[in-house]
Amino acid sequence: MASRLLLRPSRALAASSAGISPTRALSSCARRLQQSQSPEEDGRTTHFGFETVPEAEKEARVGKVFSSVASSYDTMNDLMSLGIHRLWKDQFVRSLNPGTRTSSPGNAWSILDIAGGTGDIAFRMLDHATNINGDLHSKVLVSDINPDMLAEGEKRSLQTPYANTGRLDFKVGNAEKLDFVESDSIDLYTVAFGIRNFTDKEAAIHEAFRVLKPGGVFACLEFSHVDSALFNMVYKRWSFGAIPLIGQVVAGDRDSYQYLVESIEKFPTQEEFTGMIEKAGFMVPGKGYENLTGGIASIHKGIKP
Amino acid sequence: MALRRCRIHKLSPTLTGKKCVSSTQSAVRTYYSIHHPDPAPFPPIQAQILSTALKNVPRLGFSRDALLSGCRENGYLEASAQLFPRGVYDLIHYYLVTQRLALKEKVQFQQDAKLGLTQKVKTLTWARLQANVDDGIIEHWQDALGHMSLLENIPASLKELGNLSDEIWYLSGDTQVDFGWYTKRAQLAAVYAATETFMSTDRSKDYADTKEFLDRRLGDVRVVGGTVGGAMSYMGWIAGNGLGLARSWGMKKDAEQQPNNLVGISLFGNQDEVEAMSRLKKKLSSMRNNRS
Repeated sequence: MASRLLLRPSRALAASSAGISPTRALSSCARRLQQSQSPEEDGRTTHFGFETVPEAEKEARVGKVFSSVASSYDTMNDLMSLGIHRLWKDQFVRSLNPGTRTSSPGNAWSILDIAGGTGDIAFRMLDHATNINGDLHSKVLVSDINPDMLAEGEKRSLQTPYANTGRLDFKVGNAEKLDFVESDSIDLYTVAFGIRNFTDKEAAIHEAFRVLKPGGVFACLEFSHVDSALFNMVYKRWSFGAIPLIGQVVAGDRDSYQYLVESIEKFPTQEEFTGMIEKAGFMVPGKGYENLTGGIASIHKGIKP
Repeated sequence: MALRRCRIHKLSPTLTGKKCVSSTQSAVRTYYSIHHPDPAPFPPIQAQILSTALKNVPRLGFSRDALLSGCRENGYLEASAQLFPRGVYDLIHYYLVTQRLALKEKVQFQQDAKLGLTQKVKTLTWARLQANVDDGIIEHWQDALGHMSLLENIPASLKELGNLSDEIWYLSGDTQVDFGWYTKRAQLAAVYAATETFMSTDRSKDYADTKEFLDRRLGDVRVVGGTVGGAMSYMGWIAGNGLGLARSWGMKKDAEQQPNNLVGISLFGNQDEVEAMSRLKKKLSSMRNNRS
């Protein structure tokens, strides 16, 4: 009782010493109201993990997440998937079987890897095309919205045999608006563990439809929803309990990891995402997706008719 | 065709509330009707690519090259082979389905021809086997059988075998609706599978050996079927005799009437004693009832 009486006068004292009028709270509210009606925001919001943010803001915040993890991206992936992400990426590339056996400059594949900053998928594609299909002419264009991730990829490409061969190219760009790619020019469009970070997935899928040649393939490897309810319980405990903690301890960045597990949770289910792919005009083979490791990740494919 | 595609595109998971029928599957109908034609078994683009690929199979075998040639020759990219998630098996499955559906056109029985059921079945089975030869794929059929026997493909292969057996019996006019429906189809499926496997290694002129093999197998079915039927009726006759014998020894249908201690007499005693004892017991029980 007595302590409460003590506190109140001290707060008033602090306020008056700072020269702030007692009606400050109201005026700051009015200022924030004006800000929210500014022309940049038209009221459309999207999710950033479990947070709802204006669409214009999501890009910047995702950028911050990935800039901060660029150099330790592999470590982050290893922690999130216990190293299995390498198997997933191998399976992804193997099932796509890029490259042609009757290789010549004329019928080389032109592959576009979106959100492939660090080059994991791009290098695997080129290795598969070169070593397994004997294709020395297929090329990959890696595009990422984050220049830091792309720089990391360029650095790593110097260790591969494709560094200055003209088969590997890196360009910064927004998947929702690929101005530097002509329509009907790509054989294979891949996006691995990137599309859940896009602000507007449908725009990205429509853009993929535009740039692909007729008969071209859209392939997406992404974290998805687990089939079995029992396994899902265990998986969610691991995701929300352990991963941010490991991120905190190992990389010192709890928030990025928290965002990442939340974004997985918000991603549409396999059937919903297949519906989105079909809505853009793609033909979907079989049931449209292949679950990996019980549904923790899944490969979605679509072919442009 | 385009109209059907449009209709399929309109289906969405939220509307139907169940798994979305993808645009690559034809509209799945869960009933069969002779008044409405069946929907096409394969979507148009897949059918186009696979039929071209099938024309190249005699030269290239059931291989990825055949599939890619189908894509290329129709103006699609090699990447379009992603339309076939089961790879070469999709080509084999297409062949099996289209040959089965073609049987109806290939074999037309005259209405007035007095052909027995067995004869019709034999004609249809041979027509299907002959199709393997006419399309030139019989040299590569061992590869196809290998693909069909992979673990992930076995359910689909067995389903197609069952469908073929069903189709042959249906086209030969089978109208049996009891358990024989299942046994006949199972028998024909086994016969067809054995004959086709034999045919894949047959080098005789005009596959005469295969024809004889088929005749022998169908004959076996007839003989075994007859023997089993005969054995069942024989067992039934023996059982009937045994029952009559038991009745003659005093076994009654109603257990209440049978006295407990007469069991021993009925086995070792004679008929008169047994009957006398049972009459006595009946009299005693009726006297007891009257008194009470």
